Amino acid sequence: MANTETALKEALTSIEGASGVALVDYTSGMALGTLGGSKTFDLNVAAAGNTDVIRAKMRTMEHLGLNAEIEDILITLSDQYHLIRLLKGRGGNGLFLYLVLDGRANLAMARHQLKRIEQDLEV
Amino acid sequence: MTVVDIPPPLPVRDRSDQRDVAAGALSPMLRRLAEEEATGVLVREHGTLYLAQGRVVHAESPLAPGLGVLLTAHGTLAATAWRRATEHSTSPADAARLLLDAGLLPEGALELCHLDALYDAGYFALAPSSTPGRFRYDGAPRLGPLPSVPVVSLERETLRRRLLLHRLWPDPAADSAPLIRADPAGAAQVPPRRRAVLERVDGARTALRIAHDLGRQAFHTLVDVRRLTADGLLAPMPVPTAPDPPPAGFHPPAPLTVTDPDIALLKRLRNALEAL
Repeated sequence: MANTETALKEALTSIEGASGVALVDYTSGMALGTLGGSKTFDLNVAAAGNTDVIRAKMRTMEHLGLNAEIEDILITLSDQYHLIRLLKGRGGNGLFLYLVLDGRANLAMARHQLKRIEQDLEV
Repeated sequence: MTVVDIPPPLPVRDRSDQRDVAAGALSPMLRRLAEEEATGVLVREHGTLYLAQGRVVHAESPLAPGLGVLLTAHGTLAATAWRRATEHSTSPADAARLLLDAGLLPEGALELCHLDALYDAGYFALAPSSTPGRFRYDGAPRLGPLPSVPVVSLERETLRRRLLLHRLWPDPAADSAPLIRADPAGAAQVPPRRRAVLERVDGARTALRIAHDLGRQAFHTLVDVRRLTADGLLAPMPVPTAPDPPPAGFHPPAPLTVTDPDIALLKRLRNALEAL
């Protein structure tokens, strides 16, 4: 059991290569909490924009008639990874964790850690 | 030979007064209270904001389901536990604190529901109003274990939400009216969360009522309602205005028939975009 701030802190410190993390409500696009980021990388902007990514993917799945749920979405840039993990908890009213990783990160480990942090948050 | 007229230059705002414009964006009074770090209760036409040392600690609006609804609707908390806690406390925030101390609520879930409820009610509280707000200095609101929000953040988020709704579908008619299905056959390809909203449209329920039923935030329901309206799947119940019954084959006018640009709205949009 953790509060939002602790969960975000843990994501940033325990996941190697993580430079920013945000907990985002994907209906409104609002970041309920952010940590890290930089002057040139505004996590709030990234949060709002990535809600469109999730919605587009969900719509496509709907059109294809796929009933599975999205666990996470990985976006690979030339020098970064962006990892989006959708939260499923009881109150998880359409939230996702958004993680920015640099190119050296261990992806499998990052996914695993993010999953654990989600469980800790108990939302 | 055609002569090309150069259109007159678009009006450009004097940048020197930008601060004042930003300050007056939603509620000059609220800005002032934030600057003087006031503690008390701001009552506005569509909702109430509770300030402690200039930060918003809690918000309520008759147009948004409160913290209790959000907490109990999805099994985060049993409804009886919530009822018992509210009987022993003066405000929803106090009730939440009791439950937290009793170990009945996970801290993360409570924080998130609290922020959801605060921004949701805050959105309506800061909606344009026809009467001035009243502020009562009062020591009761306190900075507590639950997160509080700076006034500027709430204002910025409220503006962003207004823009988002406007972008989805510019007509607010469906926000408050009873809703009807516009095209019952076309519901096949609606994502599950939005389908839940659509399934509750019955000609009597409003968006707020649907939000209550689903235990969702009112703003989120408005997002779904506007998207469904844009897709032509639902419409506000047409209000009979003409004394004569409409002729057969009558269709309510399309919501967007404005031919001249709404200057006031465009200016508000520009201000909001610049403030982002």
